[in-house]
Amino acid sequence: MGGKKLRVVHFLNQFFGQIGSEEKATTGFVVKEGPVGPGLALQKELGDRGDIVATVICGDDYFSANVDKNAEEGLKLVASYQPDLFFAGPAFAGGRYGVACGSMCKAVGAELGIFVITGMYEENPGVDLYRKYAFICKAPNMARGMPEVLRNMVRLAFRLISGEKEMRILARENLPKPEEYNYFSRNLLRNEYCDKTIAQRAVEKLVAKLQGKPFESEVIPPTFEKVPPPAPIKDLSQCEIALISDGGLVPKGNPGRLASRSNLKWGSYDIETLFCEYEVTHAGYFNDHVLERPDRLVPFDVMRDLVKEGKVGKLHRTFFSTSGNCTVSKRCGEMGEEIGAEIKRRETIAGAILTST
Amino acid sequence: MRLEIESIDIKEIQAGSKTHAKNGVLEINLKELEELILRDPRIKSVEMDLVKPGDKVRILNIMDVIQPRCKIDKPDADFPGFIGKMQIAGSGRTRSLRGVAIVVSYPSTNRKEVGLLDMSGPIAEMSPYGKMKNVSIAPAIAPGVEERDFENAVKIAGLKTAIYLARGAEGHPVDEVEVYDLDIPNLDRTSGLPRVACYYQIYTPQFDYLAVSDPCFYGTDIRHLTPTVLHPNEVLDGGVVGWNAVKALDTYSIQNHGVIKELYRHHGKDLIFAGVVGMVANIEPTARVRSACMAAKLVKEVLGADGVVLVKVTGGMPHIDLAIAGEECEKVGVKTAIFTQPLTPFGTLSDTILFNAPSLNLIITASATFERTKIPWKAEKFLGGTAKTRIFCPDPIEQYAGDPIIDIEEYLLPGVLDCTGSAKVIIKEY
Repeated sequence: MGGKKLRVVHFLNQFFGQIGSEEKATTGFVVKEGPVGPGLALQKELGDRGDIVATVICGDDYFSANVDKNAEEGLKLVASYQPDLFFAGPAFAGGRYGVACGSMCKAVGAELGIFVITGMYEENPGVDLYRKYAFICKAPNMARGMPEVLRNMVRLAFRLISGEKEMRILARENLPKPEEYNYFSRNLLRNEYCDKTIAQRAVEKLVAKLQGKPFESEVIPPTFEKVPPPAPIKDLSQCEIALISDGGLVPKGNPGRLASRSNLKWGSYDIETLFCEYEVTHAGYFNDHVLERPDRLVPFDVMRDLVKEGKVGKLHRTFFSTSGNCTVSKRCGEMGEEIGAEIKRRETIAGAILTST
Repeated sequence: MRLEIESIDIKEIQAGSKTHAKNGVLEINLKELEELILRDPRIKSVEMDLVKPGDKVRILNIMDVIQPRCKIDKPDADFPGFIGKMQIAGSGRTRSLRGVAIVVSYPSTNRKEVGLLDMSGPIAEMSPYGKMKNVSIAPAIAPGVEERDFENAVKIAGLKTAIYLARGAEGHPVDEVEVYDLDIPNLDRTSGLPRVACYYQIYTPQFDYLAVSDPCFYGTDIRHLTPTVLHPNEVLDGGVVGWNAVKALDTYSIQNHGVIKELYRHHGKDLIFAGVVGMVANIEPTARVRSACMAAKLVKEVLGADGVVLVKVTGGMPHIDLAIAGEECEKVGVKTAIFTQPLTPFGTLSDTILFNAPSLNLIITASATFERTKIPWKAEKFLGGTAKTRIFCPDPIEQYAGDPIIDIEEYLLPGVLDCTGSAKVIIKEY
């Protein structure tokens, strides 16, 4: 992009967009050509490298009443200006404003494929909701820090646009260091070169721990919630049971494109058809035993016998499948909820058997 | 037990009529080496190539990388159980060549996940082996030999080459002598220093190819091992070797075991190195708890350790297995530093921990082994395979060694990451 002046669109709420304070929070989308309010300072930071061609403004209450729909509406307005770069806020501690900035960034980034940058206070609910989708610069909880935050947002934007690879990352990606550019990390983990070997760090820190000195763990361990088991089913002979597995059993050709590692998807397949032609997409175990007899993973044979014997009422036709190998636990929880919702929606299923590897 | 490793720095390798080293130049009689390798009837033929940094060469189907080593003062003692007759490794004098490695390929393997090394471009910059002079050997299978049996033949061929090259350097001046001298058990507490052991997960059977474990310990596999006390020198000096597949681990990295060498560096200064407990990651839950209890007992009651560094192999199940061993250690009062390897590039570091144990409060990020990296680089020559050799990717895509860009997991790039702890790598949230 060397030399070319960037087209920039800026998103603000009704207050910073100079429409009015809380009493104007129900105002819908307004577009003003050129910079408005904090946009003037933003334009100054951009200098002759970019022009704020438009400012899209929306009231906090209006936006938060229907976040997804309004992000879509806002996206259309932004897109009509064909921007090279998108800024929102900063929102500081404003909760509704933070969500609006975050969802606008998410929609614009996904649709237009341009860098999207906003700023928030660490306790703003928008941080956790949207950190994955936007570069969210750290901001104080009050608008007093506006000039510094804008300066940092612009600095980060041009660092991203430069396309410069971060050489400390083994995979050499265009990912500026969060500490250096003062933004919230985006739920990505990367191998990074450091001055000490893994062994050096381990031994030095363990010696400190043994000496009773302060030591710093490289990971703060999580705390897990306890899941109470549900009440047992009283009479299986009256029940329809579904089969679920994370062992990666899928129809031949893997139509759902499940990955064999770090998979984020699940699929639902007719179990009769699946057992005729199948494959395994799972790189976490040696697949041959399952390929030989998929009943070893998904107890289709035993269930059919039990139904025949009248011990189980019915086997549900659909088998729910995922490949659970190195998938982050949060996503596993989400997939569980999604599959659970689907099972509930089908109404007839009283229980499920989950088998794993 | 006292081990002296006499290192010779090799600056150049070249083919010649006699295997010998002079002024840092290792000349190799490839004909003689070929004859040595072909003495194994399981091997029909062998491709051998000398490669250097800067060569536009991509080496494929890599099973192992080995440092040239031989025993100087003991007969028939190299890689005991594999090559030499069974005896305890780790004492006496060993010649070691630095700056040169043997890269062992198995071109006709049916394994999907195999190693890859480039001699220039991004991978060569990432891997220490990309900066060395390497001897690439790629044996071909003789008719009628079983696949798993042949893997062992390839492994043996690599180890034989390592010994052959080190022996060939006899008479060359030694550049450095490292002394690894440690009495185990040594329960003398007069120093007042804390005693630290290493819990070393040597292997995990979860990836066993064709349901057979790879031999990696004195000539045997260790699928059914119970925790065993090892002298650290046994690990450094050929008692333990790499698996039949590179998984952020190879013989070279074991011969230079990161945590063992680091504990030696600290020994007598701010800790006493109490020894090593070697173990395999368990597949069965009952076996897991049994071996965790036994490991904690050996660390505490046999080695008398106050602290332990728990070193893990690649994989999710070993993560849990290691944590249970760590918990048992903390229960008996042994303080722990535990390795973890996040298995996914998404989430926070905290999201990647697979155990729920408040006592394990010192966690070291021993690299994200399954991290993906895109390599935009084209080789002009392929060893151990061809431009059409398929490159593993966990996504359902097809890619080949000759593609302009490959998308590969870093644990398949030997030397880039290292389960023994030698890599200067940390994991950060981005």
